[in-house]
Amino acid sequence: MKKSKFMIIVLTVLLAITMLAGCSSTPAEQPTEPTEPTETPFPEKSMDLTILFGAGGAADVIGRKLADGAAKELGEPIVANVRTGGGGAVGYQHVLGQKADGYNLVWNSTSICVTYHQGNMPADQDYSAFRGVAKITEEASAIAVKADAPWANLEEFVEYAKANPGKVTVANSGVGSFNHLTAAAIEDALGVEFKHIPLDSKESVTALLGGRVDAMVNMAFDAIPQVQAGEMRALGIVGTQRIDAMPDVPTMKEQGYDVDLLMWRGIAVPKDTPDEIVLKLQDAFLTSANSDEFKEFAKKYSLTVAPTTGAEFDAYMAEQDEMIAKLMDKIGLKKQ
Amino acid sequence: MLEYFSQGLVIALQWENILFMFIGTILGLVFASIPGLTFSTALILMIPVTFGLDPVPAISVLLGVFAGGMSGGSISAILLGIPGTPSAAATVIDGYEMAKKGEAGRALGMAVYASVFGGIFSLLVLMLVAPQLAKVALKFGPAEIFALVIFGLSTIVSLSGTSLNKGLLAGMFGLLLTTVGLDPVMGLQRFTFGQSWLMIGIGIMPVMIGMFALPEIIETFQRAKNNKGVSKEPTDKQVVKASFPTLKEMKSTFFLMIKSSAIGTGLGAIPGTGGPIASFLAYDQAKRHNPKCGKGVIEGVGAPEAANNGVTGGAMIPLLTLGIPGDSATAIMLGAFLIHGLAPGPLLFQNYGDLVYAIFISILIIYIMVLVIQFFGIRLFVRVLDFPKVNLMIVILAMTVVGSFAINLNFGDVLIMFFAGLLGYLMKRYGFPITPLILALVLGYTIESNFRKALVYSDGSLDIFVQSPVSLVFLILALIMLLAPLIKPILEKRVKADKA
Repeated sequence: MKKSKFMIIVLTVLLAITMLAGCSSTPAEQPTEPTEPTETPFPEKSMDLTILFGAGGAADVIGRKLADGAAKELGEPIVANVRTGGGGAVGYQHVLGQKADGYNLVWNSTSICVTYHQGNMPADQDYSAFRGVAKITEEASAIAVKADAPWANLEEFVEYAKANPGKVTVANSGVGSFNHLTAAAIEDALGVEFKHIPLDSKESVTALLGGRVDAMVNMAFDAIPQVQAGEMRALGIVGTQRIDAMPDVPTMKEQGYDVDLLMWRGIAVPKDTPDEIVLKLQDAFLTSANSDEFKEFAKKYSLTVAPTTGAEFDAYMAEQDEMIAKLMDKIGLKKQ
Repeated sequence: MLEYFSQGLVIALQWENILFMFIGTILGLVFASIPGLTFSTALILMIPVTFGLDPVPAISVLLGVFAGGMSGGSISAILLGIPGTPSAAATVIDGYEMAKKGEAGRALGMAVYASVFGGIFSLLVLMLVAPQLAKVALKFGPAEIFALVIFGLSTIVSLSGTSLNKGLLAGMFGLLLTTVGLDPVMGLQRFTFGQSWLMIGIGIMPVMIGMFALPEIIETFQRAKNNKGVSKEPTDKQVVKASFPTLKEMKSTFFLMIKSSAIGTGLGAIPGTGGPIASFLAYDQAKRHNPKCGKGVIEGVGAPEAANNGVTGGAMIPLLTLGIPGDSATAIMLGAFLIHGLAPGPLLFQNYGDLVYAIFISILIIYIMVLVIQFFGIRLFVRVLDFPKVNLMIVILAMTVVGSFAINLNFGDVLIMFFAGLLGYLMKRYGFPITPLILALVLGYTIESNFRKALVYSDGSLDIFVQSPVSLVFLILALIMLLAPLIKPILEKRVKADKA
């Protein structure tokens, strides 16, 4: 008898723990009240921020940190929930399926354009199904070769690539990944033709170190530790400025090649979200992004904090979408 | 090195560090032993907690979850026949058989001994030859990983039980399930029927929870109905004594433990492989060691547990030396390193030698904690068996639903869990083994993505798989495994004929 009582307690505790894990999503939809939208105080309850990529990864960790800061400004918690899958499509569709009341946000990125053109979003759900709250970060990428490669700089590499069209193997982070698009943009600018090897950001590093590819196009973040250790040589940075962690590496622009593609991240909501709510969110997220604490944090992931307002973000997304569509068409991935 | 060691010792032995290791280990053990929660969930929950800690306690708490979790997965695998983590799927086979025979305590004891053995073995490898092993791991490209995983898949032969055909069928079905979702190279939708929740594919966790737990639950209810007296099930009332393996048993399994730990450490070090495949390969070794494997012997429990804990140290090798996580758990850990300004990679040992040694010493302390906590824990855990099984199963049913939802906050996973459970029940009923299906499901994605990536390298030529010596060796080994059951009877006949 005693034993079974004890077991009941233990099992109840275990069950409670399990239930708690299931509770990390937002509470059920509140019953709709026909109140005037203009007079609704915002926020009245916790908000849900959809994170599109793996729990514990850079997108997740940075997104949570940003949300913590914004939640302090808004006075209600922002719960970050990881909804991965479909290169972001699962998360984007989740957010679009919720009410446009400002309680459902997404930590979006270049992926908003890529998943759409890849054909993984419904035809009417491209970037314009969302409206920007604020653009937050930018991230540069780099083209790198192994330290003992015969090419000392970009010029020699280009010369070799021109002499051997389609022979130079370049690892990227998967078909249609941001780095694949960057590699295609580099091809355009350099006037060469690579053989693209779709891996992922970590496999690219092992493939280059293991000598299976000639070069990689990857986020600068993944190249930095290898370049610093003298295992890899970065030939150029795709970005607006040099990177503190490898100050000797010139940007592509400095070397006379016009490649301009940055990985950006920001906060977006469904497009019908009312203006005053978007503005409130915008102020909170911009304050969080501009805090020293967030900047310090982002630096560890080699991210540049480059905040803009929601309106600017909308225009920026439109501009980027056009460019990404063109690049995807070039590599034969554009479906819609 | 000695200087680093002593500095590391000072950092590792700070009370704060010890406290967080303890918290992490307990958390890992608890999460891994509840069917439906994994230690990956615990790792993710702990990440925000580590923001405010010093670097070493921050990493220690995660290491505790990792090591505790790898070892804790065996608890529910043995007691309930439901693996707590995918890495413990192989432990179910013999562990649950032993529990049915009334030897749950012995099985748990062996699992703890093997876990700690594997963990400390991999720690030694990590400390002594990490840079060298990392260089070997770099040689594993898509072609090599494909061949290695195919070799892993070929252990289906030894998991199939009585009917090899049924085992292969189950395995093939598992592979088929992995084709649902976005394809690993082009990102195209396959078999998603326009449902966005299927884009993520058929998850391993919901299928595993469903297939192992639901048939048990259904059968328990059926038995209870037939017996009428719900709480009076004679088979479940057993005197369970917690016992560690005897010296004699330790001696007889010593080489198997070394082999299994080495398999775990080696596979842990190769990014993109990991726990489940290591534990199945080790289980296959156990079968060679003791042909009675499958009927409930300690070898069948020890080998997979030594291997999956071997993965803990192994997976740290590429993380610390190259900055590349070896599996999903170390990928989460990478975050903790970065947040504290320690970029793992070639320079970590040079710049933060003392911290690296502090981490090594912490791993050792964590495994000692695992040993002590589990030693006392076993007495507590086995009491689960004293509890009326029907009541227990009701709780587990609730856990399976919540657990499968909690993985991705996706209700689709709950549906998948129920379907998998129903299928699992039917498979069990008609004599199809479940483990081959789970193994195929775990490995399918890796097989396909590496196969196709290798073909991108070779412009579509299959030569790449035979040109690489590593890949060739593994493929031949896989072939031998598959053909052995066919050839063996013929050979044996010949030998008999010769003798006659």
